[in-house]
Amino acid sequence: MDIGLNHFLLVSLLLFSIGLFGVMSRRNVLVILMSIELMLNAVNLSFVTFSQFYSLLSAQVAAFFVMTISAAEAGVGLALIVIISRKWPKRNFLFERDPEKEKKY
Amino acid sequence: MDLFEITINLIKIAVIFLLMVQMVPLLVWVERRGSAFIQNRFGPNRIGPLGLVQNLADLVKFLCKEDFLGHKGRKGFFYAAPVLSLIPAALAFGAIPLSTPIKVEAFHWLGQSWGPYIFHFQSFVMGIGIVFVLGVSSLAVYSLLLAGWSSGSKFSLYGALRASAQAISYELALSLSIVGVILLFNTFSFSEMVTAQTGPLSFHFFGEVVTISFLPNWGIFYQPLGAILLFVALFAEANRLPFDLPEAEAELVAGYHTEYSGVKIIMFYMGEYGHMLVASALMVTFYFGGYTFWPFLTPEKINLFLSSLSPTWNSVLTAFILHGVFMFKLLFFLWIFIWVRWTLPRFRYDQLMDLGWKTLLPWALVNTVITGICVFLFA
Amino acid sequence: MEILFIFFSALVLYGGLVTVFHRDLVVSALHLAGSMLALAGLFFILGAHFIAGVQVVVYAGAVMVLFVMVVMLFDLKKEDSVLFSKGLWPKIASLFFLIGLIAGILPLSLHLFQPLAAQVIEPTSTKELSRLLFTKYVLAFEVLGVLLLLIAVGVAVLCRSQKNVTTS
Repeated sequence: MDIGLNHFLLVSLLLFSIGLFGVMSRRNVLVILMSIELMLNAVNLSFVTFSQFYSLLSAQVAAFFVMTISAAEAGVGLALIVIISRKWPKRNFLFERDPEKEKKY
Repeated sequence: MDLFEITINLIKIAVIFLLMVQMVPLLVWVERRGSAFIQNRFGPNRIGPLGLVQNLADLVKFLCKEDFLGHKGRKGFFYAAPVLSLIPAALAFGAIPLSTPIKVEAFHWLGQSWGPYIFHFQSFVMGIGIVFVLGVSSLAVYSLLLAGWSSGSKFSLYGALRASAQAISYELALSLSIVGVILLFNTFSFSEMVTAQTGPLSFHFFGEVVTISFLPNWGIFYQPLGAILLFVALFAEANRLPFDLPEAEAELVAGYHTEYSGVKIIMFYMGEYGHMLVASALMVTFYFGGYTFWPFLTPEKINLFLSSLSPTWNSVLTAFILHGVFMFKLLFFLWIFIWVRWTLPRFRYDQLMDLGWKTLLPWALVNTVITGICVFLFA
Repeated sequence: MEILFIFFSALVLYGGLVTVFHRDLVVSALHLAGSMLALAGLFFILGAHFIAGVQVVVYAGAVMVLFVMVVMLFDLKKEDSVLFSKGLWPKIASLFFLIGLIAGILPLSLHLFQPLAAQVIEPTSTKELSRLLFTKYVLAFEVLGVLLLLIAVGVAVLCRSQKNVTTS
């Protein structure tokens, strides 16, 4: 088997879909942030793949930028989560299961 | 790649890993005797000559300890953490060249001719060696975090959080202080860096070549500030004493390895000493000429001295002599690590963060900018 | 190369799946870190050595450590979280998206990209990459620097104002 462009793109596609599924259907904020990181990683993989197979270095520069921005995004997102959880400790934004509430229904 | 080359390479990887692991008992002994020497005590001196067998007795003690896990602990992570602590140090040490490559001429053996080979004196060769070492050593935080969290103890968790915050903060200063050397020697690979450092100190100064014939061309003469910053940051990365906040005995029992016993704690110690080894090797390679010692011990001079031998044996002997030079420099820096540990007291946590963010980082930036301007003007 | 590709891509996908489907947040975060390391391996066999190194330093070494730290600070128990939201539509929508992507990419990749598959991959030189970064894309690079500074200041301000609110 020859490993070519479409194999790498397939991996990238599957990774992106896993991330998308996580973003759309998980309830926990932290997991949603992680799934966004997964999607960004998948895009990076396709950038680097295209840059290597078509010998376009600009795509690698784009991948570099994506990495930087996603690091910044993770920093801001985590800071916001920590602040929200500190400010409203009663608010159940991480969607923990509340046994008393479930008994009512 | 034929059978001979693959076999030798596998043996080489195993030997370099064992070299790292086998340094640990030696270093523990040096640490004990050295601390005793500094504090005017005797140290271990009952078991064996000069107390050399003391470590073996301690090992037996560790092996007989009970394997304990608190009831709030998480079993899988608890056992994985000590193993994880060994991996980054081993990988990083494998990427650093310990001597010149060995060139083997073509020869006949077992009725077959074996082609010429080049064996590098390191586990694996990478073009981007410096980035690789930085990346791999930044993974060491995971083992500390996992160890602290999975123990299910407050002291462990505090130790782990301190350790990870400290490691992330000092990584910035560490990488930035290396940028100066990278700019200066214009390469990402360790062996090119060492090659650039053999020879007399010579640099361009406004178009003229200035040569100072009695000094070697080491990085320390160009980057004294960078060397100091890197050394301090490496101390913090290795969690050694002025920066051993994660395991401050007076505050946190034993930090992230409070709950560990037996062989697992030995693995943590191996990881710590492995970090020390990597740190010393980085200092030697970046700032002190690596495995060469101009003007006496350079590859060319030793080759000339051994020219009566066959080329293969000449190359092998040269590599081992230069490896001895490297180990000598390495041991010198390891001794400085031990010396500092028994000399300086521990920082307070806010002092540690101030030092990292308000002192090391700005000075590293200044160093980078000045180096860039000098390289642009003079080269 | 084939074996390495299969190994690394299996690791990447396994890590991603566990990240999304596991109940325990710590396990999720650690698997995401592993997935990113394996992705660095994929970059390495593609020949983009510098990007692989940056991936290890930035993602696995900094971003994921931050994630793991925050998750450990929250200290959630694994039984205590509801896994998925109740609506069925997001799942169906992402499934359709996946099918659409596969349907869109497969015909294209089977015909268009076939001749390029056998091309030999050259490792890119870091010098070329950095030259491009500092000449053609220098403006974007500077803007990124400003963005990072902004975010550092912003996060510091957020945390500080929070502290004042609680103490006053």
